[in-house]
Amino acid sequence: MKLNLWKEKIFSLGTQTGFSDMELYWQSGRSFEAMVFEGDITKYSVSDEEGLAFRGIYNGKMGYAYTEVLDEDAVIRLISDAKSNAEIIETVEEVFIYGGDNPPTELKLYNPELQKIENQEKLDFLLEVERIANSIDDRVFKVAYNLYGDSSDVVAIANSKGLSLEEKRNSAFAYVSVVVRDGDEQKSGAKFLYGNDFSKFDPRIVASEAVEEALSQLGATSMQSGQYEVVLRNKEAANLLQVFSSNFSAENVQKNLSKLKGLLGEKVASNLITIVDDPHLESGLVSRGFDGEGVSTMRNAVVDKGMLKTYLYNLKTAHVDGVPSTGNGTKASFKSSVGISPSNFYISPGVDSRERLIENIQNGVFITGLQGLHSGANAISGEFSLQANGFRIENGKITTPVSQITIAGNYFEMLEDISGVGSDLEFSLPSGSSAFGAPSLKVNSIMVSGE
Amino acid sequence: MLNQSAIENILTAALSTGGDFAEIFAEDKHVTAIDMIGGRIERANAGHDFGVGVRIFDGTNSVYAYTNNATPENLIELAKTAAISISGVPKDLGISLVKEDAKSLHKIKVYPADALKSDKVALLKRGYEAAKNYDDVISQVTGYYLDTDQKILIANSEGLLKEDRRIRTRCAISAVASLNGEMQTGSANTGAHKGFELYNEHDMADYGKEAARIAKTMIHAEHCPSGQMPVIIDNGFGGVIFHEACGHGLEATSVSKGTSVYTGKMGETIASSLVTAIDDGTALNQWGSATVDDEGTPTQKNVLIENGVLKSYLVDKLGGRRMEMEANGCSRRQSYKYEPTSRMSNTYIAAGKSRPEDIIAATENGLYAKSMGGGSVNPATGDFNFAVQEGYLIKNGKIDKAVRGATLIGTGLDVLKKIDMVGNNLKMGQGMCGSISGSIPANVGQPMVRVSSLTVGGRKGGE
Repeated sequence: MKLNLWKEKIFSLGTQTGFSDMELYWQSGRSFEAMVFEGDITKYSVSDEEGLAFRGIYNGKMGYAYTEVLDEDAVIRLISDAKSNAEIIETVEEVFIYGGDNPPTELKLYNPELQKIENQEKLDFLLEVERIANSIDDRVFKVAYNLYGDSSDVVAIANSKGLSLEEKRNSAFAYVSVVVRDGDEQKSGAKFLYGNDFSKFDPRIVASEAVEEALSQLGATSMQSGQYEVVLRNKEAANLLQVFSSNFSAENVQKNLSKLKGLLGEKVASNLITIVDDPHLESGLVSRGFDGEGVSTMRNAVVDKGMLKTYLYNLKTAHVDGVPSTGNGTKASFKSSVGISPSNFYISPGVDSRERLIENIQNGVFITGLQGLHSGANAISGEFSLQANGFRIENGKITTPVSQITIAGNYFEMLEDISGVGSDLEFSLPSGSSAFGAPSLKVNSIMVSGE
Repeated sequence: MLNQSAIENILTAALSTGGDFAEIFAEDKHVTAIDMIGGRIERANAGHDFGVGVRIFDGTNSVYAYTNNATPENLIELAKTAAISISGVPKDLGISLVKEDAKSLHKIKVYPADALKSDKVALLKRGYEAAKNYDDVISQVTGYYLDTDQKILIANSEGLLKEDRRIRTRCAISAVASLNGEMQTGSANTGAHKGFELYNEHDMADYGKEAARIAKTMIHAEHCPSGQMPVIIDNGFGGVIFHEACGHGLEATSVSKGTSVYTGKMGETIASSLVTAIDDGTALNQWGSATVDDEGTPTQKNVLIENGVLKSYLVDKLGGRRMEMEANGCSRRQSYKYEPTSRMSNTYIAAGKSRPEDIIAATENGLYAKSMGGGSVNPATGDFNFAVQEGYLIKNGKIDKAVRGATLIGTGLDVLKKIDMVGNNLKMGQGMCGSISGSIPANVGQPMVRVSSLTVGGRKGGE
């Protein structure tokens, strides 16, 4: 789609209709995805898509509309939908279309080598993952999901204030989940890879880590309920951070939907905890030079040694608090309205190895799986009560596997109760425009429910 | 959306490398979304989704390609691109499409486009007022309104050519209660395969009150104790227990691969004889209903479990090829960007004979889960979890104090056998179900059900 071709047409109709400032957001992408099951290619998917979103200020209110069809009728509909949407908005905060005060950092987000990989090579990777997984251990029953995908995208913003930005990126991921069986017992284990350098996708690593994870859970039993010292493995600590990250959004703070309201400059976590939003992170999963409003992004320490330093802002909420935007005005896709979300958002790694975190625990739990985060953890109350699995820690060592337990607590109380931070920072798969990372965390006390 | 000869050309191109089945799915969808925070409309968006997907089978291999550049020339290109991955000799399948007018089962009275935006806003305001005025402890109220008008066309190399139009709307209110620095939430929603007439039957003020009532109850609630205990799960959205604990494991997605714990158990007793479970895509105007599924097969009422015996799986065309079974009208997808696969529509445990008050009176001590949050399951192990939004302890056959933060965990096979009382008050609740073919509207439902023993997780610990 030729953005400039349509820009004049859309902006001219917009001006006639009564919009003061206007913006187009265009996204175009190609993707490939394949899945192999027992030697068959059960999924082989290619796509080629694009979409256009319009937003504009009409009588001081921001109206939105988007379309995946672009023709003369679509232009008329975009403008009339955006106008009728602006007309029902009742918020009193001032809204902005950004003129672009400082240019964004240019980031290397696109690796041309990835686009040169033949699809057959990707299928061979999947077949190899399956072959290796099946050969590792007799108890491997099925390689249930064995998926590879890659995509390349272009995002462009152009507005009536003269801003014109474009960013191109590509990425690939692989995900494998295996089921192991011993007698009647079945366990599953998964592993993913992410990045835009296909040469780093090693089928042995994916296969062996997934199998190992599944095998290690065989024979798991529940454990006695009680308060335990807990080590949360990095990925699980990252998943929990994701659920509660909405509390850092200035919009939620301003709308009385955040536990962190009124706590700027206060201690909100153990002084071992530093939380960073880094949109420029090299090999960052969702790195970006500018946000969904065209504002240049920047690194921010949101929590520094336990102290809450800033919220995450877009233009509208920054204006309310009289501060600059932190470059966190985002759209999950071109279809979305601008909201607030972090980029590469992570708890900074400490110095302790995992062994060191565990060595002084006499009777505790190492949590390696948390389920039901979308329902068992409440971002607003801060409370969580989640199905978990992992291993017992006895006399400073990891011993037998544990399943059918829950852990329960309050996330913000937990952050104050951290007594060790690992050096093993890891990110979970990105979600929308954010990716969350954490090292393994040692927590003094969490309620574990089991038998 | 596409004319017949263009469709035939695209299907022919798709089969040019030896595929034995080709299908086109075209989607044209209008979406309206309105968000309210604190009684004010915060965001409003409207969109037009449009795209086409082409799917090819070669035995049990499947290829899928999609685009929103839907000119016939580009779609033929797309079909050829997809076909490259199949290397065989073209079979002369002789495509002749027979257009069948799939008469919609689900009558729509007021199409969303014909309802005023201000009336949509009024729903949220009404919900807000009711929640805000419910109690001083209510500190914030949010809500959203959504409607979708989806037109689809499905054609395949077996000659099928069908169109369908699905109208859905949903409205939800959430309330936050604050007290002494703590916050608790409650929410309530309604949704249906209906037009704006849904809101003549449902007053959003009731949903606002309900959300506020739950938030207020929870702010005064204690932490839930943990351990094994009998659990009574009330009707409506409580049906999420069956959806997670069993339903996903009956989808061909995992059964056909042999990774579901329910594989190979057809005809066996897998549940208490009190349990009859049904997935009914035909239920009139229900949230998860449609006239035809996303492969063009008419939706069906599938009895999954009858008096405890496993009677049926949910089977889509590709899963059916693996399992040597006929597809039974349950293949669904979020949009043209997803290949369809076997999914639930409106899934529920059928009504039993017990009166709800008798079930509670017959339970000496335990947990009463009055309203449920969501949950999830690992189909390979059958391990499920789900969150209780509003729970109470039961003491001596009576509902006692409210408890917060209860999570129920178990395995599907175990919980189905432990259902020992089934109420007579069947009711449905609306949810969004996420799986490999995307996020789709699904009803869950049940009457009040008692499970003789479940693991309850809570922050208070063992008592």
